[in-house]
Amino acid sequence: MTERAAGMNSLVLRDVVKTYVMGAEEVHALRGVSLDIDKNEFVAIMGPSGSGKSTLMNVIGCLDVPTTGTYSLEGQMVADMSESQLAEIRNRMIGFVFQTFNLIPRADIFHNVELPLIYGGMPRPERRVRTEYAIERVGLADRMHHKPNELSGGQRQRVAIARALVFEPSIILADEPTGNLDSRTGDEIMTMFDELHDAGQTIILVTHEDYIAAHALRTIRLKDGMIESDERQAKSTSAVPRLVSSLPTSAKEAV
Amino acid sequence: MRFFVDVGESFRIAIGAIWANKARGVLTTLGIIIGIVAVITTMTAFNGMQNAFRQGFASVGSDVLYVSRMPWVIMNDFFMYRNRPRLELAEAQQLERNLQGKAIVNPSMSGNRDVKYNSLRVDDIRIIGTTEKQSVMSTSVPELGRFMMAFDIAYKKNVAVIGQEVNDALFDMANPINKKIWIGRKKFRVIGVMEKQGGSTFGGPNFDRQIYIPISSYVKAFGGARGTDIDIAVKAPSQEAMADFEFELIGEMRKIRKLRPMEDDDFTINKLDTLMGVFNSVMGVVLVLGLLVTSVALFVGGIGVMNIMFVSVTERTREIGIRKAIGAKRHSILLQFLFEAAVICLVGGLIGIVFASILTAFINATLMPASVSIPILAIAVLISVLVGVLAGLVPAFKGARLDPIEALRYE
Repeated sequence: MTERAAGMNSLVLRDVVKTYVMGAEEVHALRGVSLDIDKNEFVAIMGPSGSGKSTLMNVIGCLDVPTTGTYSLEGQMVADMSESQLAEIRNRMIGFVFQTFNLIPRADIFHNVELPLIYGGMPRPERRVRTEYAIERVGLADRMHHKPNELSGGQRQRVAIARALVFEPSIILADEPTGNLDSRTGDEIMTMFDELHDAGQTIILVTHEDYIAAHALRTIRLKDGMIESDERQAKSTSAVPRLVSSLPTSAKEAV
Repeated sequence: MRFFVDVGESFRIAIGAIWANKARGVLTTLGIIIGIVAVITTMTAFNGMQNAFRQGFASVGSDVLYVSRMPWVIMNDFFMYRNRPRLELAEAQQLERNLQGKAIVNPSMSGNRDVKYNSLRVDDIRIIGTTEKQSVMSTSVPELGRFMMAFDIAYKKNVAVIGQEVNDALFDMANPINKKIWIGRKKFRVIGVMEKQGGSTFGGPNFDRQIYIPISSYVKAFGGARGTDIDIAVKAPSQEAMADFEFELIGEMRKIRKLRPMEDDDFTINKLDTLMGVFNSVMGVVLVLGLLVTSVALFVGGIGVMNIMFVSVTERTREIGIRKAIGAKRHSILLQFLFEAAVICLVGGLIGIVFASILTAFINATLMPASVSIPILAIAVLISVLVGVLAGLVPAFKGARLDPIEALRYE
């Protein structure tokens, strides 16, 4: 709590090193990354493949722990946590949105979105309210009891966003969220992220597309496991006009 | 609370997973079904044999001791008993006098004869010469007519009380009372028909294929006293005092036989308990062997389930990754797969119970009095769940230990 009060930082990485041992060889995926991300920031992490962005993403998402260095998430030191504690952090503080949507195919939309709440041990009536709210927020209330394979790609990604949102996490971590979508639906999804950001959500986006990164207010470029550049930018308008025509009216007003 | 949320979710996933792979589920379940049917049927068959045995001797009172030359069940050397003196009618009368007012003594002797009525004939019927006191020793009563009375014995009347099967064979629907039948080469008048006693399934005598006649007439007609053995049935004063009374009876017999203290008994006290004990110990071994063999079927079924669970875990690697990424802990994943295995086996077990019940009904109708009891069903359900959990354990651990990053990358 003290750290957070000091800098309002929701996420603090200090000298994070991640080394994998592959056979006899050591792979240095991250070679000392220090990074602060504040509440309600919208950050894009970019970099060529092999730059360590996936590893950084796994560390930030508490799927992996650094070899050395520290990572605190809302004041909680993640680096020394047990597997089960990490699972709890992922459950309550991080919302994942993946390139391949990663929904559970046999479960309907409602159940997919409800799942984090189930693992969080929330009682059923409360789960129901929260799940329905999250699904309404992404505009799929009428598809609540459909299976993922009955939905389009864009709709599936919206389900994934609802699932990420349902526990009101500290950060949403999106890994190439538009990578499997055509550009129009990709834009729709990005607009949704913009709206979430406007509503106060912290978002970290991993991408290699500049026009996607342009939605963020800060771009961090990685190269060879180190931060190459960390720039803040005004909200780019370059991508916005392209999608205005395709948006529902409510979204147009927001723009 | 947390645990129950987990259990609910695990159960839902398990049902969903099985439903998604119906054909596979059915095939896997088949192994368990066969195993459970085998186990239940073995147990009910054992129960049935016990029932049949008990029924077969139901009419022999359990508070009756039998003084005989030979034990009913010879466990060791037959030659030990071969040279024993026969029991004489006089000894029975002596015993009766000595136990006067304390116990009822009923001697009997028997042999097999062919029985004829007009042109009809039944072979090899057990003819038992006994007294009116037989009706005290056994619980069965005449269904028709009357049993022998004291004066039948006293006046050496040629009267016979016939068993059900004898009656059916000779008289069918006709009234047998006062009809004259040939037993061997002597004529006897039928005075009664015993009620059906059933059961000779497991080595017991068939009580429906015998004829009671007065012991005095037996001696007169078949010359017995010299050549045939007699058995002396002694009804103990009470069930509780059986053990004490047995000692007293041995004492009385030794007095009659004038045995010296160092000499061994040259007679045997037989009782129903001995027979039941021998039956139970023999059948116990049979049951254990049967269960061993049938549990092999269950074991094979369990291996099938384990195999399928490994496939299931591998197929759903990515799903495990997703679940872990959004906050599932190891034990949640473990529970999910354990539940799936347990549910497969439980379903198999329940179907197995249905089949086994049908099979048991069939056995009951054709072979012996068998029925499926609640404890047997409870054991079957328990066993099937246990097999599921055991079979699911290793695959479930494999799934639970997966690294979420690797699992998410799995195609």
